[in-house]
Amino acid sequence: MGKRYAMVIDLRKCVGCHACEVACKSENNVPLGVNRSWVEELETGKFPNVSRHRLPRLCNHCENPSCLNVCPVKATYQLEDGTVLVDYERCIGCKYCIAACPYDARFINRERKTAEKCTYCHDRVAAGLLPACVNTCIGGARYFGDLNDPQSEVAKLLATEAVTVSKPETNNRPQTYYIRADEKALRPNLLNIVGGGK
Amino acid sequence: MITVHFFDVPHEIYWGLLIALYFYYTGMSAGSFILTSLGTVFGIEKYKKVSKVGVIMAIVLLLFAPLHLLFDLSQPGRFINLFTHVNLTSAMSWGVYLLILYPACLMIYAWFLFRQDFVKGLNQGGFKASLYRFLLFGKTDMSEASKENDKKQAKFFGTLGVPLALAVHGYTGFILGNVQARAIWHTPLMPIIFLMSAMVSGTGLFIIVLMLVEKFKFGRLNEDIKALIADIANLMKWFIVVDGALMIIYFIVLWYSSESGYAAGYFLLHNEGWSFLGLENILGMLVPLLILLSKKARQSLPAVVIASVLTIIGVLAMRINLVIGGQKLPLTGSKIVEYVTSGQDIAIVLGIALAVIVVLSFLYSVLPMNRPGAQERAEIQGNKTIPTTKGVAQ
Repeated sequence: MGKRYAMVIDLRKCVGCHACEVACKSENNVPLGVNRSWVEELETGKFPNVSRHRLPRLCNHCENPSCLNVCPVKATYQLEDGTVLVDYERCIGCKYCIAACPYDARFINRERKTAEKCTYCHDRVAAGLLPACVNTCIGGARYFGDLNDPQSEVAKLLATEAVTVSKPETNNRPQTYYIRADEKALRPNLLNIVGGGK
Repeated sequence: MITVHFFDVPHEIYWGLLIALYFYYTGMSAGSFILTSLGTVFGIEKYKKVSKVGVIMAIVLLLFAPLHLLFDLSQPGRFINLFTHVNLTSAMSWGVYLLILYPACLMIYAWFLFRQDFVKGLNQGGFKASLYRFLLFGKTDMSEASKENDKKQAKFFGTLGVPLALAVHGYTGFILGNVQARAIWHTPLMPIIFLMSAMVSGTGLFIIVLMLVEKFKFGRLNEDIKALIADIANLMKWFIVVDGALMIIYFIVLWYSSESGYAAGYFLLHNEGWSFLGLENILGMLVPLLILLSKKARQSLPAVVIASVLTIIGVLAMRINLVIGGQKLPLTGSKIVEYVTSGQDIAIVLGIALAVIVVLSFLYSVLPMNRPGAQERAEIQGNKTIPTTKGVAQ
């Protein structure tokens, strides 16, 4: 069986330092104002009953990616190992993938003038290194590896821990898993934002 | 539960005014074509008078519509990739072929509609005659058999044009409807709603264009055209009824769907209330419907013009509310995504609109817009008095 790359983020270990975000920017030369990888932070409850949650976000490298299905020129493609990439030479910048991604993972790189997103640091991984965000994580909260290898850390975590993904109902089958992610962080609380809640 | 986000990154709305306008133009093209195909294709005699006006309008709107997309591309020079790389799972990829087939079919259809008039116009000399000679491609045969062939071919290509018109606008409904990430778009009703509102706005614009063409080409609106406009206004009333019913069905099901669906419905009613309720549904649908309910109003040109203009504005608001409003609802994070129209986009929209008006005016003024009825009367008169008359009721 071939490789299937996935990421597991253990939120018990995340300290909210945003080092992953900075490492990603620096590694991938991401322009100002846009992010391939970022951390949402929120607080819930009322003193003294409060809790604080973080949710690092990045491309989920879905098994059935909406972005890939909607691309009119097949500029978005998926490798055998599951990594979803954009062909920057072919992308016409129609932005359909950006509109279709349920995770806000994509944006237009104004310098390159194409759609762009996290690549799981494909070049680093191909060279035998870890993605920059995993490499830099000071809490050791991020794990990256091959799900098809039962001895890999990600495969072990998926087998032994309760994991969750963002918006499983969309049939994108995301491959970035979270341990102890808070539901309020996994999706926007629309009733709070728009109104209409009790 | 109180939730406070204190770190989040901003996101942007990438599909803005240009995309909404693209949907709007293709809609009006399909709507006006289907309406005027009632004559040639469905054999309703009185609509044959206006098929030429309708098909020119449909072609021009459709040729200019994709310019909005081209200007919206981050890499406009690479649009050629749309032809060289096909992705069958992408509704946008389907559209590429429809956007070629549909206007091509309409142009062939129009050619057969105009051919005999081109031949008749050859002897008037000047620019028009040279233009007609060029457009005829040497097919000047005026035998009965060839006239019969024109009729047959026009019917064939017109009939082919109807499903293509449905597809060329229906597919834009799939572009939004296939996006499951956004509850406000993700409904099987989307292509049908797009088609129905296209019938409404296409009819509205067509009425106004028809009036202008008749006024400038023939100096006045004949009684038969006035009667036809009342008839079209009656059809528009029913289009609005169906479109409104679809909107209500869409909204009710949205309200009772998922949390994001309900939030989208709430958002449309409250945050976008002015535009969604006010412009789109009250001013753009309810008011014209109320006007057109009265038979007297349908026979009054000013009332029909007001109703038409309102539907045109209402459907534009609908396209903007759906396309841009749909992206204001956040997919991650904690804030409504704000949209600011760029001056460049507004300039492009106005520029294309101006170009459409100029090209339409040019075509209507140089093409033989005479119609069955008016044309025949003029010919009979002309043959009796001056045999070399132009034979065109201009």
